[in-house]
Amino acid sequence: MSESTMPPPDRRPGPAERLREAVSNGRLTAALILLPPALVLFTLFVILPLGESGWYAFYDWNGYGTPEDFVGLQNFEQMFGHSVFSVAVGNTVKILVISLVVQMPLALLLALLVYRQTPTNAVFRLIFFVPYIMAEVAAGLIWSFVFDGNYGVTASIATTLGIDKFFILADRDLAFYAIMVVIVWKYFGFHMMIYIAALQGVPDDQIEAARIEGASRTQIVRHVQIPYIRPAIAVSAFFAIIGALQVFDIIIPLTNGGPSNQTHTIVTYLYEFGLTRLRIGFGSAVGVVLFIVAVLVAVFYQRLFMRKAAS
Amino acid sequence: MAEVRLENVAKAFGSLTVIPDLSLHVPDKSFTVLVGPSGCGKSTLLRLIAGLERPTRGTVRIGGEDVTTKEPSKRGISMVFQSYALYPHMSVARNIDFGLRITGVSKEEREARVAEAARILALEDHLDRKPSELSGGQRQRVAIGRSIVRNPKVFLFDEPLSNLDAALRTQMRVELAELHHSIDSTMIYVTHDQVEAMTLADQIVVMNKGRVEQIGSPMDLYDRPASVFVAGFIGSPKMNLISGKRFGNPEAETVGVRPEDMELTEGQGYEATARVVETLGSDTIAHVRVDELGDLTVRLPGHMRLRDGERLRVTPNPDRLHYFDADDRRMETARA
Repeated sequence: MSESTMPPPDRRPGPAERLREAVSNGRLTAALILLPPALVLFTLFVILPLGESGWYAFYDWNGYGTPEDFVGLQNFEQMFGHSVFSVAVGNTVKILVISLVVQMPLALLLALLVYRQTPTNAVFRLIFFVPYIMAEVAAGLIWSFVFDGNYGVTASIATTLGIDKFFILADRDLAFYAIMVVIVWKYFGFHMMIYIAALQGVPDDQIEAARIEGASRTQIVRHVQIPYIRPAIAVSAFFAIIGALQVFDIIIPLTNGGPSNQTHTIVTYLYEFGLTRLRIGFGSAVGVVLFIVAVLVAVFYQRLFMRKAAS
Repeated sequence: MAEVRLENVAKAFGSLTVIPDLSLHVPDKSFTVLVGPSGCGKSTLLRLIAGLERPTRGTVRIGGEDVTTKEPSKRGISMVFQSYALYPHMSVARNIDFGLRITGVSKEEREARVAEAARILALEDHLDRKPSELSGGQRQRVAIGRSIVRNPKVFLFDEPLSNLDAALRTQMRVELAELHHSIDSTMIYVTHDQVEAMTLADQIVVMNKGRVEQIGSPMDLYDRPASVFVAGFIGSPKMNLISGKRFGNPEAETVGVRPEDMELTEGQGYEATARVVETLGSDTIAHVRVDELGDLTVRLPGHMRLRDGERLRVTPNPDRLHYFDADDRRMETARA
């Protein structure tokens, strides 16, 4: 047999060969039938609005009629020069940090306490998960009552302790900390569930082997369980980061961005200074910046951390 | 001195009693195999010795010391699990020295002990690899290495060869026997495979429904099974168990005869038909239907050629019969 007729041992199929294979095994037909509806919907409701938003960002437009007043990069210049935008970015970063530093460890701690399948743990899991399944607006309203200095829980505390009434949500320095408490309370259950699912996958005999070798409870968590659930922690952190960039509907019922615009996040800033003031072009510019940041974070995080964790 | 004693130990999980009342002595430096069918309580018994379960009642002593309420790490034992229980994120070396690291053993001593274990188990070239890069047999050796470096008084093995293929199982069996000879420690080994039990053990403990059916050396159990259960469990192919009445011995409820204690005879013996003939090379196993006694198994020399359906005559060796009473216990006196 001549050398030319011998196929190389690790030869990969070429495009034409792959197409022939897809036709013969029905994958091409399946793709032609199933792909167009999803593609059309995705294009109509995601790609086109994104493209339009990018286009509006270069116009001074109030949302009525056709955008005609082309302003170039003026919306972006205004945004980056606006002090409230800096506050909003700072607040978004604070939420990001608090999610990673407080919310995730708290969720992990609680997950370690309740991950084993017992009836008591099931009750606690449900209790811890309730805030997450509650609508954001409802949660915001509940907490606005808690923080209400006249009639809420804080009013009762002030009366009981015999101190002056205090209005946390009206305090420029404290309001955002109160919001961060609500955010941690609202979303820790979600991260806890991710960890619970992962912890239940850690083989019992690995934990028992560590016990036999003399590992304490803390050492088992540190050396056996956390390394084992590292991919789940990476996913959880990814959701925490993306979630921090999107915080909106907790803040509106609590402070609506106040007092003195001190509790805005990027999204509430977009809503307040773009949509409610009918400056759709400006809002679009904020949206474009937010989208680019989110995509960059997602891509870099996936490449840097999630693959590493999975390996 | 690392004998293990269990005194009137009982274990229940809620309303389910797994071990009703069990006493057992495992001599120092012995290789004791706990064997029995699935669900007989042998793994639970091993976990009670390890301290992974607390007995509902009774006492566990290791080396004369009462360890019933002691933590697993304080009992001087190590355990090799069926699934190996290796930490996937650690290298082989770190898996082996994990217990030493967390208990604060110095680096020099850790390295020396790991090197010694790696030498014994031929793992020197694999110390930097992760468990996922090893074969099943190598993973099993790492799990054993993790046990060795702790210098335990008692090694516990929970079905350690179950996940290996037949060839590797045979090889690892030999390696375990060699390991026992070289480190000369007490070993307690759980298996449901009676071949492993017969080949590895100094002492076999046959368990059934949470109770000890018989304790003895492999050949004791083989030659003098104390009950119908042991007679049927030890030996492959299984002992033929025939109704005493059909066998012409009304004194015995059951008469047992091992397949190799039956022979083909000419002109005399029970008439039979060969149902299925299995040729194994070294042996030929004939499953025959004996007109008077029912279905029996006969082990014949490997060169013996029989056809399915062939008519033949079989005769049990009268000196190698086992008699059992109505309680399925061995009878020493019944003779046809």
